[in-house]
Amino acid sequence: MTNPRVGIIGIGQSAFRARRDDASYPDLVREAVNLALADAQLELDDIEAIVYSLSPDAMVGIGNAERLGVDAVGARNKRFLRINTGGATGISSVAAAYYHIAAGACDVIMTAGADKVGECGDSQTVLNKIWDPTYERSLPLGTITMLAMSGIRYAHKYGMSEEDMAGVVVKNRRHASLNPNAHLSKQTTIEEVMTSRYISWPIKLFDCCPQSSGGGAIVLASEKYIKDRKLDAVWITGVGHCSESYYLGDRMGRGFMADHADAHALGESFKRAYKMAGITDPQKQVHVAELYAPFSNTEFHSIEAAGLSGLGQSVPELRAGRFNIGGEIPVNASGGTLCTNAIAVTAMIRLAEAALQVRGTAGGHQVKGARVGIASGNGGDHQFFGTMVVEA
Amino acid sequence: MPLNRRIGVIGSAISVPAEPNGQSLEELLYELVQSALRDAHLTIDDIDGIIVAANDQYDGRAIAVMAASGSVGGVDRDILSTPSASDHAFVMGVLRVATGQYRTQLIVSWSPTEVHSIAEAQRLAADPYFHRRLPLDDMASFSLQASVLDSKVAGAEQIAADFNASRGSVGSHQAKRSLISDGMSSPPVTGAVALIVADADFIAEHGMKNIAWLKGMGWATETGFLGDRDLSTAPALEAARDQAYGEAGITDPRHAFNALEIADPTPYQSLIVLDVLGISKRADWEKDIAAGAFAPGGKLNFNPSGGARAANPVFCTGLRSIVEAANHVRGAASSQAEFALAHAASGFAMQYHGVFIFGTQN
Repeated sequence: MTNPRVGIIGIGQSAFRARRDDASYPDLVREAVNLALADAQLELDDIEAIVYSLSPDAMVGIGNAERLGVDAVGARNKRFLRINTGGATGISSVAAAYYHIAAGACDVIMTAGADKVGECGDSQTVLNKIWDPTYERSLPLGTITMLAMSGIRYAHKYGMSEEDMAGVVVKNRRHASLNPNAHLSKQTTIEEVMTSRYISWPIKLFDCCPQSSGGGAIVLASEKYIKDRKLDAVWITGVGHCSESYYLGDRMGRGFMADHADAHALGESFKRAYKMAGITDPQKQVHVAELYAPFSNTEFHSIEAAGLSGLGQSVPELRAGRFNIGGEIPVNASGGTLCTNAIAVTAMIRLAEAALQVRGTAGGHQVKGARVGIASGNGGDHQFFGTMVVEA
Repeated sequence: MPLNRRIGVIGSAISVPAEPNGQSLEELLYELVQSALRDAHLTIDDIDGIIVAANDQYDGRAIAVMAASGSVGGVDRDILSTPSASDHAFVMGVLRVATGQYRTQLIVSWSPTEVHSIAEAQRLAADPYFHRRLPLDDMASFSLQASVLDSKVAGAEQIAADFNASRGSVGSHQAKRSLISDGMSSPPVTGAVALIVADADFIAEHGMKNIAWLKGMGWATETGFLGDRDLSTAPALEAARDQAYGEAGITDPRHAFNALEIADPTPYQSLIVLDVLGISKRADWEKDIAAGAFAPGGKLNFNPSGGARAANPVFCTGLRSIVEAANHVRGAASSQAEFALAHAASGFAMQYHGVFIFGTQN
């Protein structure tokens, strides 16, 4: 039996900012929904089902906050469910929406969400609560300290320097300066990054993503729906997910199954998406990549997990400009997670940006000739990974 | 729209009420999943993907589902989670198999009771400006719903009491709320549920017997604000019902099912659901109660598992109803059924509804 192909027909994203005092949480969701519907030239009544994208409840201070977002997404009396895989939630939600159509349950569906990370107080205090309350929470672990340990290990294995990390920041800020939706869009220098204060060695303030507020929405449709209406679409040709262990200790020391320096499960997720999309040589077949990397050091192992570089090779290749706009495989042409992180929708925006690139409508940060794009999302304690391949 | 593939429930395990005996949550989930795998005569290597559902506030962890990674066999495998409702995990698992990209899915949900106050955890789901200070928790919302029903249906309070009495006594009691008296609901218990679904080809290749085939599935939501709803009605349930009945070809629901597993946080909610599902219309409530239709062994075979009134694993109640209904069809329950219906409801005054129909025939 042949499954129906699934296409993206509408994309909406906020201009992400540190605060959005002008909009309540549901208002932010609706803002993205309206943009996506306008892009798809549809009305709310045209949408058959909704997948709601929301990561930890605590980030918005409301338990099961998706219940209060029902009207914002026009879901009243419709099929509706929420996905949460932490930071990967956005791309997992698109995958869940994809499954609705590929299963034959409906022809047109929307996934949407928003976050107010910039207004949650301190996201690291919230994120500390993802860990085991008895053993790990009191260390204290946060996503920064967790990935700082990964950075140290990566530097030990592959020779990454703090200047190399700064190089990622400079590249992504330069890209973000071309993207009006990016939260941090001011260009910076190696010196400026290196003189910013340490948050958790080797990660400094400028190596960190911001706490952003904003929303995202994507409308997906079946091939039949798209062809019947002669719509333009970006096709989702590969979908993958893979998970790691919960306990960080299982990725360190003797007997670990995956090295915390690398992104083993992200790599497995990409293999699954590539297999589905028929991609056998990503370095030649992928034209643009939007990879979830909230801290500069994590972009290196993400590039390698995506198969765009060999292990440890992304560092010299980044120095050589291979991942710049204008380079061989631009990575995070939007500025990426490092410049914008509204957690509930960040991974959805990765996919949205990849889709805009292959559609040729990315604007100032458009990668010329991009026809195959990839996107990823990382969630939990570097635990849940989602990946996708999109094609024009 | 019918799904692209036929799906069956091939294995399950219920631990309600769970008696951890010093076990951690991870140990409880590990044993549960192993039990479901044994029931399906499979190993974890046969599982293509996992859907989990838990509630951050009850678990006391942000992203509560993270804790399940190892214990449910998720490492190096893919996991999605639906924290909106436990029955949404079933929906997601079914959809993934129906794509043809997965042949099997393991679906797991749990609901602990270690939190200081379940009611306080529920209050966090109320909007922080207008409703949280009421205070609004699940039972308060059910009480409000009961009040609205009582204002619309003459004698609803007595009907609910008679309905409850007709089901026999229960040993545990929840604190009373307006119109909700002793014995109408049960206090929360720790619980966990797991089931495995597979496509028809996988089932045939493995020569599996006693399958609960999914004949129809519907799910829908009401709006989040109670003030925007007529709580005596359930339009989202009507939408979910129409999806499920349409797929299953149900035209005479009162006589279509041999077993019902229906949400019963209090009798008022069950009565509303029975009316909307067309199994016992409002005009027939008193007559059906008098005839013992809802009593154990009654002709409607209503909640032969005992439902949430007997044991209430708050968050995973919906998935438990699905497994119980599937077990009736699989011959794995005390009551054997050719056709069974599961209904799931969650959120304040039943915001979310799911309707699931199982049959013995593929």
